[in-house]
Amino acid sequence: MLIPFNPDILWDLDLHLLPSVLDSFALLSGQLNTLNKVLKHEKTPLLRNQVIIPLVLSPDRDEEIMRQTEGRVPVFSHEVVPDHLRTKPDPEVEEQEKQLITDAARISPDAAQKQIQSLNKMCSNLLEKISKEERESESGGLRQNKQTFNPADTNALVAAVAFGKGLSNRRPPGSGPSVQSGQPGAGAIIAGASGMQQVPMTGAPAQQQPMLAGVQMAPAGQPGKMPSGIKTNIKSASMHPYQR
Amino acid sequence: MEAPPVTMMPVTGGTINMMEYLLQGSVLDQSLESLLHRLRGLCDNMEPETFLDHEMVFLLKGQQASPFVLRARRSMDKSGMPWHLRYLGQPEIGDKNRHALVRNCVDIATSDNLTDFLVEMGFRMDHEFVAKGHVFRKGIMKIVVYKIFRILMPGNTESIEPLSLSYLVELNVVAPAGQDIVSDDMRNFAEQLKPLVHLEKIDPKRLM
Repeated sequence: MLIPFNPDILWDLDLHLLPSVLDSFALLSGQLNTLNKVLKHEKTPLLRNQVIIPLVLSPDRDEEIMRQTEGRVPVFSHEVVPDHLRTKPDPEVEEQEKQLITDAARISPDAAQKQIQSLNKMCSNLLEKISKEERESESGGLRQNKQTFNPADTNALVAAVAFGKGLSNRRPPGSGPSVQSGQPGAGAIIAGASGMQQVPMTGAPAQQQPMLAGVQMAPAGQPGKMPSGIKTNIKSASMHPYQR
Repeated sequence: MEAPPVTMMPVTGGTINMMEYLLQGSVLDQSLESLLHRLRGLCDNMEPETFLDHEMVFLLKGQQASPFVLRARRSMDKSGMPWHLRYLGQPEIGDKNRHALVRNCVDIATSDNLTDFLVEMGFRMDHEFVAKGHVFRKGIMKIVVYKIFRILMPGNTESIEPLSLSYLVELNVVAPAGQDIVSDDMRNFAEQLKPLVHLEKIDPKRLM
């Protein structure tokens, strides 16, 4: 799995590039996570037991390999193979690693433990210093610039999607069920038309009339109603549409 | 009259038991680019996809206290796409260890006379909005970053205004019931978006 990463970003020590460097590192960490998950999957064969041998090397472009590697490896030639099919580090690096391993084995376990503890202590001291510095500079307003989200906005947006809060809901907040039952029937009226007189009311109980009149008084001012081109009977909302 | 042939019998089972696992958060407009950049790297490699949708929420008020809610969505920028009808159930009150909001979900593609059909059935539109944003995928997870616009004049999707200065970020998965490992995967993905966005399980009832 090829990880896209531009190493040139690291060499530019301008501080304003730090966010994009951190971003790239976050991407790296994400990709490595995915890689780990794929490798740890129970269906993945033990890669240690698999051997890859290149059978044909050619300096010509290979479209198949281009496709498989998303355009990153156009040619399967003798310069590409040592890097991509590598299983061991360079000889010099291998030497250095061996040296380090023998050095580490030479130290007694007690001394090693002491070294580990002092390293941990230094790290925690450093972390404490950094967090203290962060807390003190918070009052300087540095934190404010880094806010990338606003929890109040999150709540407002979630409420809007979940039940339409703040989306010019024609139902005024806090009103009782009386207004609600009147409106669905009124929704069938062409907005602005004086359909009240022309459309017969079927089976509406007496109490519906004044409510519908109240609704009718400002039909255009009630946003959110779907205008329908069909004049239909105003049916009381508490009645099943198929009754009568 | 003889019984209708078996092929005409209603289909039962199958899609009805799909659950939607959901995590939500938001990101301020000025940080949107960083979020998109990060998502482009984390998610499956595909063409960045934007969308402009118009969603209408319909209610059917019966004798019971709580109305039945259906959501109808249509694409405003892609022609020829079917309308999308969606039912979302109440969030399941699972144990606190479940990291995502889980609710029953039924998704249906319909033709474009959906609103007429719903009105004839007795539904009435409760509210509507326009959603404009980007969609990403990672395996079965879908990440949607969109801005909600309020529609100023009913039925007129040209006159809209943004509801807030933030984009809503949703991470959702539609999967059969009982797959709680999905919510673990979602939480791991959400970790990778911190501290840009905090994706969490938000109970809409708390915000009423």
